[in-house]
This record gives sequence, C-alpha cells and structure tokens, in this order.
Amino acid sequence: MEFDFSVIGDHARFLAYGIAITVALSVVSGLTSIVSGFGVAMLRLYGPRWLKPVVVLYIDSMRAIPVLVVIVWTFFALPIVAGLTMPPFAAALLALTIHLAAYAAEIVRAGIESVRPGQTRAALTLGMSRRQVLRRIILPQAIVRMLPAFGSLLSITIKDTAIASVIAVPELMRQSETVAGQSFQPIEVYTFAMLVYFLLLFPVTRGVDRFYRSVAHLGRS
Amino acid sequence: MTLDWSVVWTHRDALVEATGTTILLAAATMAIALPCGACIAALRLYAWSPIRTIAACYVEFFRNLPLILVVYWAFYVLPILTGLGLSPFLTGLAALALNVTAYNAETFRAGINSIRRGQVEAAMALGMSRPQALRRIVIPQALRRILPVLTSTWVSLFKDTSLVSVIAVTELAYVAMQVRAQTFRVLEMLSAMAVIYWLLGYPQAKLVDWIQRRYAVSE
Repeated sequence: MEFDFSVIGDHARFLAYGIAITVALSVVSGLTSIVSGFGVAMLRLYGPRWLKPVVVLYIDSMRAIPVLVVIVWTFFALPIVAGLTMPPFAAALLALTIHLAAYAAEIVRAGIESVRPGQTRAALTLGMSRRQVLRRIILPQAIVRMLPAFGSLLSITIKDTAIASVIAVPELMRQSETVAGQSFQPIEVYTFAMLVYFLLLFPVTRGVDRFYRSVAHLGRS
Repeated sequence: MTLDWSVVWTHRDALVEATGTTILLAAATMAIALPCGACIAALRLYAWSPIRTIAACYVEFFRNLPLILVVYWAFYVLPILTGLGLSPFLTGLAALALNVTAYNAETFRAGINSIRRGQVEAAMALGMSRPQALRRIVIPQALRRILPVLTSTWVSLFKDTSLVSVIAVTELAYVAMQVRAQTFRVLEMLSAMAVIYWLLGYPQAKLVDWIQRRYAVSE
C-alpha cells in the first residue's frame, strides 16, 4: 500500500479555505450559543412562570434530537415553513445555535445554582435589589465556575461544525470529501483532516483547563 | 404550501425497521464499548508505562475528533487495513465503538480515580491485597459514580448513530432522507424523523436526569 501525501499540497488553498470556514463557524456559533444560552437560562430561572415549562421542553428536546436532524431540518424544512431561503452557512449557524444554546443554558443554570442561597439572602439583607445581587454577587462567582463546561461546549461546537458538511457548508469536512472524491485518495485526505481537527481541538481542551486553573480561586466562596 | 402527511404512514414499515436498526446499532456499540472501555481504563491506570501512554493517546485522539470524520475514515480505511469488505452497518459500528470506547475509558478512569487514595491505604493496612482492595472497596463505590455518566453517554450515542447515515447505513436518518428524496415530501419526512428521534430520546433524557439525581454523590 502506497501513500502519496502530495495531494494535500496540491489542494492546499482549497483545504485551507475549509479550515478557515470551520474556525469561523465554530467561533461564531460558539459565541451565539453562549449568549443565547444566557438568555434561555435567565428565562428559565427568573422568567414569567408560564414560560418555564416551555423553556424546559425546549432544552430537553434539544437533548433528545440529534444535531444532524436539527441541521438538516433547518436547511431543508424551515424554508418551506418560513418561506425564506438560507445559504448553508447561515442555516448551519442557526441550527448549531438552536441546538447548543440549550446545552449552554444548562451550564449557566448549574453555575448560578451552585452559588449558595445564603449569599443571596445576605445580599438582600444588606439592601441590594435582586438585580444587583445577580450582577454583583452571583454572576462573578458563577461565571468562573462555568468556564470548564464552556470549554467542553466549545470543543463540542468544533466537532459539530463537521456535521454541517451534510448541507454543503464548505468547511474542512466538506472540502476533504470533495478533494477525496476528485483525487481518489481518501485515506491521505481524511487522515490529514483528522490531524487538523485534532490540532484544532486538543489545544482548546488543554488551554481551557489551564486558563481555568489560573482563575479557579475567583470562583470559590 | 400543501402538506401531505400520509407519506409518513405509507412508509411506516421502512421507518419502523430503520428505528430498529438505530436501536440495535446503539445497543451493539455500547455492548462493545463497555468492556473495551474498561480494558483501556485498566491499561491506563495499571499497565506498564509505555502501554499506559499508548492507551492515553488513543483516548485523547478519539475524544478530540468529530465522529462524522471517524465514520468516513472507517469507511475508506478499514477495508484497506483489514483487507475485508465490511458492510456499512459493521463499518458504522466500528466507528461508533472506537469513539464511545474512548469516552467510556475516560469515565471508568475518572470514576476509579475519584475514590480517595486513603481508602486503598486503609484497606491494605487492614491486610487486604491491592486487587482485593480494588475489588471490594474501590470498584463498588466507583460504579455508583460511573453509572450516571454512562447513561448520559448512552443518550449521546443514541443521537450520534444518526451520523452513520453518511455511509448509507439504513438507520432512521438515512431512511427518512431517502424517502424524502424519492417522494419530495421534504417537510413531512424531516419532521417525522425529528419527531421519532424526539419520542425515543426524550424519555431517555428524563431517565438520565432521574438517575443522576438518584445517584448524586455528596462528600
């Protein structure tokens, strides 16, 4: 069996474009998921009572449905319902956000609930408003505690962007499929893609761990 | 927009069979990944140090790869490596098992490590041998902490089986998308697929919550 990795060099720009799209989609959908996750968690914890069952249903549904199904549905079925067509990148971004925001919301909720209720009572006794308690007492500690979980959410996000290849988002997975199909050298191309994904993901998991260790003391109480 | 939901009913046999394949695939993967994960964890904890490193590399490698890429890789590379033409089902099973084994190994290792060293030392001071201490003291406690994690790995695995649709394993996602392509009833079939996954996955997610509450460990 002979391997010829020159196929990677021949398609370097094409594959580099894929890596750029993977990184862009990961960063943007990571951010939108965390921001919307905060919103969802706030609704679940402090929102109007009638809304809570809806939020819980949304979160648990996303835990029950595969991300592939959400992506495919958003790209092919949502335009029929909503009457608007979306480019693949936007559809992938929307689907990943809908899916991952549910996980982010659970992380935020767990972080907030991990701050002992005694602290809230003490702050209320000192005359702070509920809003002030959240902003000054709870969130500063809770956000630090959420960091490790957000780190694994980010690595899940990067892995999930590969699934966007099924709706032809030109990210690394899709570009690799194209090159593999054209060159008839799938082994070299997919092995290269594996290496790139590993090199993208491993520093993220390790970097977040290291960063957390340096700030963990801020979250202790 | 005219919708024709009868397409779901006409293809009920195919969908039911595909759902069966999805469940079988998840169960078979777990059946492989539990013993293999335990072996890898044991290698990582107790083996000769070069082997320990190899086991650690295996775990880190597969935990840091998108599963869909492993599926493609298995599809093209396994036939060349092993020299036999595996069916799509077995290829998908191999890819899922490689992935879930790595996660399970990490779960087992973390579970064992979560039992404080002092307990083994105390057991040995009472005259137990190391294997005895492991079997009688560490493992029974570790299992309580491992079980909730394994159940949530199961739920993830159940959803991840949809990814082997890209190599034409006739499980739920693949069959639903095939019917969509043949009948052009896009919204109906894709929604039916989502609903079937939801019906299967929602009770599992709730059960996992219950198990995690029940087995919650507080020190």
